[in-house]
Amino acid sequence: MEPSDETLAAQAAAGDDSAFEAIVRRYQARVFRLACRLTSDTDAPDVLQETFLQVHRHLPSFRGESRLGTWLYRIATNASLMNRRAKARRPAESLEMYLPRFDAQGKHVATPVELQVASRADELLDRQFLAEKARDVVARLPDPYRDAFVLRDLEDMSTADVAHALGVEPATVRQRVHRARLMLRGYLSDLVGVKP
Amino acid sequence: MKEIACASGVELLMDYLEGVLPADLHTALDEHVAGCPRCAAFVASYRDTPRILREATAATLPADLEASLKAFLRARTTAFRSS
Repeated sequence: MEPSDETLAAQAAAGDDSAFEAIVRRYQARVFRLACRLTSDTDAPDVLQETFLQVHRHLPSFRGESRLGTWLYRIATNASLMNRRAKARRPAESLEMYLPRFDAQGKHVATPVELQVASRADELLDRQFLAEKARDVVARLPDPYRDAFVLRDLEDMSTADVAHALGVEPATVRQRVHRARLMLRGYLSDLVGVKP
Repeated sequence: MKEIACASGVELLMDYLEGVLPADLHTALDEHVAGCPRCAAFVASYRDTPRILREATAATLPADLEASLKAFLRARTTAFRSS
């Protein structure tokens, strides 16, 4: 039977290298995926290294107040954000054109069929094309929206954990995730040729 | 009962789906979506957006990177202990 995270953390904190390597094996793929989403494919290897260095350094002070995965994810998030801050700032890009449109009465302009087409983006588009476009558009989101959306929706963290990781209120996380979903939904719709 | 237009319903959608709206507003939005095919379609695509992007942006750790990470950590963590 595989040892639990808690057992591995205690053994690694006591200097057991094989336990630390087991933690790395267990979490490296998820940390890499997170780093790609928050930084870039090019920067993710550096984030991966930095994350596990930090984990190794701080394991002796890990008290188990949160789960190992949550704690480690927080380190990976911080490493990603630090990596991004160290780079030249991206020019802010507006994705407002992908927001839904309403008439003067506040009613959707698009038809039900048009409004639902974003749901079929993965059926209608080539997989590789969609993967490239998806990575690109997530990176184009304004940083506060990108961070909240990646952690909440792509990494499936709870709203409370995202709020803690980003140092904002849960209501702010919900507002940012919502805005990101609206823009990305419209973007998917536009990709398959229907105005959002 | 509160009347909701599509535009104001969209603004409430995240809170609605997370179940943090006041009960009367939640009920009003339920009723609006049930009677509005446009909003029903919109909600469906809004719900599907994270899934599609999650699948499309799921990077796989390359084997050579896994090997180089292991070598890097072995060198650096040994250095920590001997410093």
